Order: sequence, then C-alpha cells, then structure tokens
Amino acid sequence: MATTTNYGWTTPDDTGLVKDGASAIRTLGTSVDTTTKNLNPSTTLGDIEYRSSTSNTNTRVGIGSSGQALTVVAGVPSWAASATSTLTTTGDTLYASAANTLARRAIGSTGDVLTVSGGLPTWATPASGGMTLISTTTLSGASITLSSIPATYNSLYVVVRNFLPATDTSNLNMRVNGDSASRYTEFTGFGTVGAQTFTLTQARITAANDNAVSQNLSAIQIFDYTNTTTFKMWQTTSFSNDPTTTTSVRGSMNYAVYNQTPAISSLTFLCDSGNLTSGTVLLYGVK
Amino acid sequence: MTKSKPQVKIVNCETGEEIVRDATVDEIAQMEIDKANAAAAQAEADAKEAAKAAILDRIGLTADELKTILG
Repeated sequence: MATTTNYGWTTPDDTGLVKDGASAIRTLGTSVDTTTKNLNPSTTLGDIEYRSSTSNTNTRVGIGSSGQALTVVAGVPSWAASATSTLTTTGDTLYASAANTLARRAIGSTGDVLTVSGGLPTWATPASGGMTLISTTTLSGASITLSSIPATYNSLYVVVRNFLPATDTSNLNMRVNGDSASRYTEFTGFGTVGAQTFTLTQARITAANDNAVSQNLSAIQIFDYTNTTTFKMWQTTSFSNDPTTTTSVRGSMNYAVYNQTPAISSLTFLCDSGNLTSGTVLLYGVK
Repeated sequence: MTKSKPQVKIVNCETGEEIVRDATVDEIAQMEIDKANAAAAQAEADAKEAAKAAILDRIGLTADELKTILG
C-alpha cells in the first residue's frame, strides 16, 4: 500500500482493485482524523497548543488564570504568575521569595518603614529613636531628686522651665548621684584650654535668677551617662530674668565635668540657698 | 515654736513614685555648706568687681568707656 508524503496516511495502490475502495477510503479517513486530532488537541476555550517531542503531535495547554503570563518551564510553554497577577491589592510590593519566584508584600501600616527580616523585605514600625519623656516634675522644697533613671538610653536631655527661687539672685544647680563632694568643674564659652580643678560641689544650670519673675528656660544635654569607664560631661544652655531689671535676661552657656566613673542614675536640682519656689523639670531619654 | 525642716522631693523615674520628706540632718548640714559656699563665691565675685571698679576709677574710665575701648 502507498502512503502520503507528510503524514504517512495509507492510500490504495494504483493497481488496487475497485472492490477495496471503501475500505481504503475509511482507512485514509481514520488516519486523517487521528492526525488532525493529534495536531489540534484543544478542548476548551482559551486552550493553546505547542509542538511536542512526538512528531506530528501537539500538546494542549489549558488557559491560565487572569493576569498570568506565558513563560517557559523545562523547555515548554506554561502559564505562570505575572507581576499583574501577583499584585492583588493596592499598595502591594513585588519581591522574589526565591529565585525566579514572584511574591507580594502587602502594604504596611502608616509610618512603617521597609526593612529586612529573615532575608526578605517586610514593613515594620521604625526602630524607636528620638526622645522619650521619662518624667515631669514640679520644682518645690529644698531639692528635687530624679532617681532610678533608666540606663537604657544613649544620653539624657533635661529641660527646666520657669524656675523660680525663693531667694533672689539664687542659681539653680545640679548634682549627680547625690554627690555633694568637690568633684565638679565647669567651663564657660568655647575654647577654654586652661586646666581646671574639681573644686565645685555642684554644677550651675542658671545664673542669678529673679525670685518674682520666672520666664527662664534651661536645656541640659548629658552625654554618655551610662559609661562606667570615664568622667561624665553635660552641656547647659540657659537664660533667666535678670534679678535687677527683670525685663532683661541673662544668658549662659557652659559645660560641666564630673570626675567620677559610675553611671549617672540620679539628678538633684537645688538652689544655692533657700527653696525652689516653682518651675518644671522634664527629663528625656535620648536614643 | 518649732522651725519646720526643709523638704526634699524624690521622684523614682522607673515607678513614678514621688516621696516628699523632711531633709535629714546630713542634708541640712550640706545645705548650710552650700549656702556658705554660695556666699563665699558671691563675696569673691563682689570683691573682683570692686577691684575692677577701683582700677577704672584710678585711670578715670567708666565700665562702659572701657567696653568701648575694648570693642
């Protein structure tokens, strides 16, 4: 029996008898049907076909999901997740959860920052920084001591508002760790290079305050207060009402050194003499 | 009549607890030392001012005139 050139369908020989014609046509029809089906295996709306490794036989690929893209897996076409299909929600971010694998990271909360956790991007609350208000205390009596200061910050920041002494022209002073020995010294202005001895028993915060008008403000930065290997230091900026002419103000800037190594765990505020009439001291921890 | 003792306030920054109590004998003694130190410092400052004024007086200048000279 003869066969066709391309698909090898069997056809009657030129010398075949007419009585075998019906059988030959049926055989040819069956072969054509089989070949056609092999070349067109689609069954469902959206199906596509590709050339398989078997000659004259295509393979059907069912339609993918909405938004998927046609890609190649093991040398043949395949529907796979695309950026469009992966990003399902407003705010989604695209990343690779593994090599050549798309994944979505849902948007975080307001104020979150993008960070890395376990080698993958993730939204998280920013690491705490800035200042934390530790205490707010009204000045009164002979002294105020802020004790048990947490040692969890990098530095301390103190604000004193509206300090009013009972005694006119009195300074506001500060001691650390309840220490009233001669272990303090202070420098005013910048560029002071002269050697200083530790003759002071406290550090000045404000200079000669009026005892009736209190519009003053002081800010103290205490650096590296938890170190246990060297002296402590703080910088003070302050202004106060002049006790003679209260509509004028006195300004001061200085930094003080305390010649002891233990961490600072308490601060005491007191006047040169007499009581603290009023005012507010705010203690912040700074990360 | 009994003189009232100075009061000290202690604030525990961990618990927020505030204690107001009478100053101890040692604390009162320290306050007296502080007061004396402040008075001594003031006296020293006053003496310096007086000495400065005396010099200015000798050379016939006021403090403002000296400031003007020094720029």
